[in-house]
Amino acid sequence: MTQAAKKKTSMTKRIVSIVLFALSAVLIITSIAGFVIRGMDSTAAKLNEMRTSAVVHVASGGLVDGIAAEANAAKLKELRALPNFRSMGMDEVKALCAEAEAAARAEAEALYSDVSGVDADALVGKIDALESALTEYNELSAAQKAAYAELYTSVYESVADWTDFVGESDDEALFAALTELVPGLGEAENTIYKDSFVKLARDLAAVELEKENAELYEQLFSAVTAAVADWSSLSEIADDEALWAKLVELTPELNGQDAVREQLLTDVKAQIAAAASGEVTTEAEAETEEAVEETATETVVDYGYFVESEAVAASGAVADAAFDDLWAELVKVIPDLDGLDKKTKNSIQETMMTVVSSGSLDFSTRYDIYVAQKADSVLSGGTAFQIKLAANAGMYLIAGIALLLLTLVYTFWKPLTRKLGVPRTIITLFFIYLCLAAEIYNISVSLMLGNVLVRVGMYGILALAMLPGIQCGIGLNMGMTLGCIAGLLSTVISLQYDMTGAGALIFSCVLGALIAIPLGWAYSLLLNRTKGDEMTISTYVGFSFVSLMCIGWMLLPFNNTKIIWLLRGRGLRVTHSLLGSFAHLLDNFLAFKIFGVEIPTGLLLFFLLCCFLMWLFSRSKAGIAMSAAGSNPRFAEASGINVDRMRTLGTILSTMIAAIGIVVYSQAFGYAQLYTAPRQLGFIAASAILIGGATVSKAKVSHVIIGVFLFEGVLALGQQIANAAVAGGGLSEVMRIMISNGIILYALTQSGGASRD
Amino acid sequence: MAGEYILEMNDITKEYGSNAVLKNVTLKIRPGEIHALLGENGAGKSTLMNVLFGMPVIHSTGGFKGEVIVDGEKTKIMSPMDAMTKGIGMVHQEFMLIPGFTITENIKLNREISKPWPISRVLGKELEILDMPAMAADARKALDSVGIGIDEYALVGGLPVGYMQFVEIAREIDKSGMKLLVFDEPTAVLTESEAQQLIKVMKDIAARGIAIIFITHRLDEVMNACDNITILRDGQLVATRKKTETSVEELAALMIGRGEDSMIQIQGKVKHESDAIALKVRDLWVDMPGEAVKGIDLDVREGEIIGIGGLAGQGKIGLPNGVMGLYPAEGEVELFGQKLPLNNPKAALNAGLAMVSEDRRGVGLLLDQSIEDNIAFNAMQVHNDFLGGFLKLKSARSIRAYANEMIRELDIRCTSAAQPTGQLSGGNQQKVCIARALALKPKFLFVSEPTRGIDIGAKQLVLETLVRLNREQKLTIVIVSSELQELRSICDRIAIVSEGRINCILRPDSSDASFGLAMSGAKVNGGDLA
Repeated sequence: MTQAAKKKTSMTKRIVSIVLFALSAVLIITSIAGFVIRGMDSTAAKLNEMRTSAVVHVASGGLVDGIAAEANAAKLKELRALPNFRSMGMDEVKALCAEAEAAARAEAEALYSDVSGVDADALVGKIDALESALTEYNELSAAQKAAYAELYTSVYESVADWTDFVGESDDEALFAALTELVPGLGEAENTIYKDSFVKLARDLAAVELEKENAELYEQLFSAVTAAVADWSSLSEIADDEALWAKLVELTPELNGQDAVREQLLTDVKAQIAAAASGEVTTEAEAETEEAVEETATETVVDYGYFVESEAVAASGAVADAAFDDLWAELVKVIPDLDGLDKKTKNSIQETMMTVVSSGSLDFSTRYDIYVAQKADSVLSGGTAFQIKLAANAGMYLIAGIALLLLTLVYTFWKPLTRKLGVPRTIITLFFIYLCLAAEIYNISVSLMLGNVLVRVGMYGILALAMLPGIQCGIGLNMGMTLGCIAGLLSTVISLQYDMTGAGALIFSCVLGALIAIPLGWAYSLLLNRTKGDEMTISTYVGFSFVSLMCIGWMLLPFNNTKIIWLLRGRGLRVTHSLLGSFAHLLDNFLAFKIFGVEIPTGLLLFFLLCCFLMWLFSRSKAGIAMSAAGSNPRFAEASGINVDRMRTLGTILSTMIAAIGIVVYSQAFGYAQLYTAPRQLGFIAASAILIGGATVSKAKVSHVIIGVFLFEGVLALGQQIANAAVAGGGLSEVMRIMISNGIILYALTQSGGASRD
Repeated sequence: MAGEYILEMNDITKEYGSNAVLKNVTLKIRPGEIHALLGENGAGKSTLMNVLFGMPVIHSTGGFKGEVIVDGEKTKIMSPMDAMTKGIGMVHQEFMLIPGFTITENIKLNREISKPWPISRVLGKELEILDMPAMAADARKALDSVGIGIDEYALVGGLPVGYMQFVEIAREIDKSGMKLLVFDEPTAVLTESEAQQLIKVMKDIAARGIAIIFITHRLDEVMNACDNITILRDGQLVATRKKTETSVEELAALMIGRGEDSMIQIQGKVKHESDAIALKVRDLWVDMPGEAVKGIDLDVREGEIIGIGGLAGQGKIGLPNGVMGLYPAEGEVELFGQKLPLNNPKAALNAGLAMVSEDRRGVGLLLDQSIEDNIAFNAMQVHNDFLGGFLKLKSARSIRAYANEMIRELDIRCTSAAQPTGQLSGGNQQKVCIARALALKPKFLFVSEPTRGIDIGAKQLVLETLVRLNREQKLTIVIVSSELQELRSICDRIAIVSEGRINCILRPDSSDASFGLAMSGAKVNGGDLA
């Protein structure tokens, strides 16, 4: 590149920077102006008025719809009662109903156009509560319904012949028979369906029986039809007894089928009459009808037998209570509502709940749209502008800050990346972006921060396990899963002996660390024989040990029925709840809430304690020797240090910390997961420490703390924002894999470049 | 005009940065002559050959000044391939042969004789099949001309080292249009009789009109084989001599001799006289790649500075590394009368030995750590110094104090004691290494190549420091250096290592010729002080 061209690029860059700076300055100044306007009394009053009216409007949107729908239904009922209802045309009825509805709507809207004295904040709170209660209820209910549908289908398809149940009058026995066919029914959570499934079996048995009888009758009737050549020949016989005897004589199958006698005789008589008048039978039609019946094979789930589980019912009750709250608030605004009868109220409730919980837009969004529309339609000119400015000041501020950050990054890209490294710069920017996005998507920041803190504590010690590995020169210790398995083993041992509380936690940590020592030692022997390829070896060792233990978990002689597969009588289950043991013990230790953020004090303190101990170790003679052996083995050797021993020390330390890490992880998670669950932990820990600024050959305690916060922060925030931005789950997992593997790849390219110097 | 010379290199100057490694060097080669290129390590021989072959390292560092004339035509050689097409070939010091291929395949590599067959007629020349018999015949011819009767179908992998050298030569001879061959220390790995054979082959080749540039340290071979001799020293042309007009002694003196201007003057050198033996080495063998020691006997007296000199690859660096236990060693070593276990760096350090390594950046320093941590490291690990407090953690305060003292004493130029050593210049890094060795409070110090890669001012300082330590603290010092001149300026005695053994021990004021001869492996009479 020539000098002139270089100069030109730097000029362009400077101009772009200045323009960007100017833009962000304008945005920020605008937002400040907005805040100032908002602070002025007149604006505040106007804004408050608008806000209230908007809240009432949006909140009662459902109410109006409900009242209107009710009016419509009432009108229809009224019309039905009229004697000349039958003579009225459909259009006329519709028109009359619509008229009544419109009138009711206008009346209802008029009722709350006067919004003075409304407590908008309370209303918003009530609506939010209802919204979240309904969302939860809908989710729970949908989940239960899906499970029910599965159960129903399997029950329906497992029973070959429902008529088997015809004679069974004992509910218990019937249910036991069903459970034998479908073992899933026996599970605790499904006992609520007991009565309904017994009823289902009875109902289906009855239906089936009826169907069988009908088939039998059909057969007999066709036999009779075939036997009787000429119906008119029977017309002479007037007496039913004689006719029946004649028919039995013609078709021997009728012997003993007295149950169908009446029906058959009626039909035969009809045939005789028809034959006499010369009409033709419609046998062909009957056949086609039968064919149609045969094709209906797919099981249609009948929700008539669905019973809400306690949890779902409870959340439904919560939603109902939330509605009652809202209703009470609305009654304050529109006292007339109090006079409505119960049925009308229920109907309105249903409509309102549908309005609140359905639709792509949530309440806040609809509120925002309304405020914007209102400002245009109600206010005019400068005032509208002022109001808009005031209302949107927060948004402008966020945009301004975002642009300012972008500008700063653009301008100082080079020094920034030199100081932080490219990945850390990008992740930090991404983190800030997510924070801003959280603000925009109205995600509760305090809830999220609490989530991030828990995750920091959860993964922190696992990431710390990477540190001695890197320092002693084996690089990213993907084989830390060995330690994880040691920790899991000690955890299940504590479960085996029904230990609880702090004792169980301490026991698991200590025993896990002890088991990790021989594992780490053996593993380090392998690593010392494969210098230069540790990364590959450790990944393989980690994976294969997880697979080996998949067999191990099945074979180990555990026998506490709480943790083994009951069916087989041996082998550990995949997931073990620690709720009865030490779940959330550290999280809740000295936990407190500040600004709505739940601080898991114990968890964070324990993490920081581990970091501190690691830091102390790094300043001891052995720690210094270990990191020298890692960063320059030949230097260390020349200084009389046994490099292999230091690598062994580092590997054992790493494995021990991983064992403690997984115990702490499990207690924060609430469950201990065995089998393939620990396989990916190494990758998570590696990416966390690398984001913190470590390389595959150099790392410090600070890298662990920074890295875990950034990585878990990005994941925790990203998960919620991805869920808010894109419907459907799974995105956050994809993001985790992308970020963590991308970071590891980047770190490897960096280290490869350096070692080839 | 196919002039008098096959190759003329006129006024070649090459600079790496501000460091001139070749200054106006002129080299002229006649057809059919064997021309020796002599010089110490670092005299500029390799750089001159790199220029001749157009090596990328030359072009990527700014090219060179001067002109190259091949066969009367001024040319610019841009790559080794280019050199080959112009008829210039090289027999490398490290064999460039593929062990899994046969001799024929190696000789004909990338110049295979091929013949067409139906598929190659369709898909192009790349797919033609090899004409093995024709290739073997060519290889046979080439092998015969270098006088080895080995089967041309034998695999290279199993051959003795000497044979590989001949295969390499055969490959160069086989190339058609070869005008000039460069032999880069071809006899270094050969036995006496093989070397004789090689010289005979070289003469045969020269008799066919191919000129040869012969790079070697063995002066007797030069006298035996060559017609003309060019001597380089410090990147400058010292002399060009006809064989008939010179002697081994003159050549040795020309190689070593220095003008007064480049002499390092060390003030205050006081000779220590003591007969007590500080270090006794008997029959030491060290397996250090490229610097193997093959049975050294040496006595170092208390309080003296002894220099270990010799050419690169002869084993002088292997001595300190072997005694310190950094490379597998065998033999007997006694330090102040105590037997020193070998292959155990920790024991060596505990016994009061310390070493400043020749591989400063590789072995000598933790480049990403601070000056103070580097200085304190060994003392902490070996003597548990600089550890404090209840938990025996590193005591930052005492380390800082000691480091600052050392920085002042050795004049280490740095921003602070916390500066990473990777950011320091070579000379200052060397001083940090010395400070680290001194922090051990050693009784005996090995200093290996203390001035390698540092500028002249820093050299002076480092050497003065060593002398002062010797004088003030009565520290016994062994200095290993390729720079004979610096050894002569500060040492009491200088041992010259050749082929893994001590050839002889000389006084610093012995003649240039004695040093030159000793380094080239010849026995020197009268100068031996052992």
